[in-house]
Amino acid sequence: MKPGAAALPRPAVIGLILAVILDTFIQIAWKLAASAAPGNTASALGALASPFFYAAMLGLAAQMFNWMRVLARADLSFAQPFTALSYVTVLALSARWLGEHMTAPKVMGVCLILAGVFLISRTPFSSHPPADEPGAVRP
Amino acid sequence: MTREATGILVLIAAVGVESFAQLFLKIGASGGAGILAGPWRVRAERIPAGSSARAWISLGLVAYGAEVFLYTLALHFLDVSVAFPLGSLCFVGVALLSRIFLGEAVGRVRWVGVLCILAGAVFVAL
Repeated sequence: MKPGAAALPRPAVIGLILAVILDTFIQIAWKLAASAAPGNTASALGALASPFFYAAMLGLAAQMFNWMRVLARADLSFAQPFTALSYVTVLALSARWLGEHMTAPKVMGVCLILAGVFLISRTPFSSHPPADEPGAVRP
Repeated sequence: MTREATGILVLIAAVGVESFAQLFLKIGASGGAGILAGPWRVRAERIPAGSSARAWISLGLVAYGAEVFLYTLALHFLDVSVAFPLGSLCFVGVALLSRIFLGEAVGRVRWVGVLCILAGAVFVAL
């Protein structure tokens, strides 16, 4: 069988879903921390006072841990494009709760991103044999 | 140089640094230089820390920190509607680096997927 022709292993699927959820959480928390800061010149320092900033930092640490687990199992050029799904989730959440407007071009953009991620999900997830499998030989 | 040109240059630097950050993290996650494609692997293994997964991960984290700084700097010069689609060029950067340094199979379908995402990011920012 061609390497990577098998189904994506479950830990990688969970990792990719978790990556999108964490990415969404980080971006929303970051946005809230920045908007909680008074003024715009000292916004970087002002954000430090917001609990959302620390929530974002915590999310970032979890994201890094999770992402290493995903990268250990899948091609970088396969896994990384999935993070584009957070553009879609952030937009949806912003439209729902942060009062941003959904416009026709935005909907079009969402469709294109979904199509792109779908296409990538159809390609083999790994060009390398799994490292932890006994007898795995690298080309 | 105009504000916009400065911003675009800084942003392109941020995209390059982020793509390399991802590459370094992938090498670290895969246990070190062993994952690199032939000639690069030979070169990396000659460096004392080349086989150390921890060294690659540290390098990736440092690059990530630099990227956050550069992207924030770029946002001082550029409108988000310009910065956002340009920033998503890192999907192209990562595909290129994965192909060159890791020998990953980035075929036509994967490229079309990446270009769809890029186009999508342009529309989302409109």
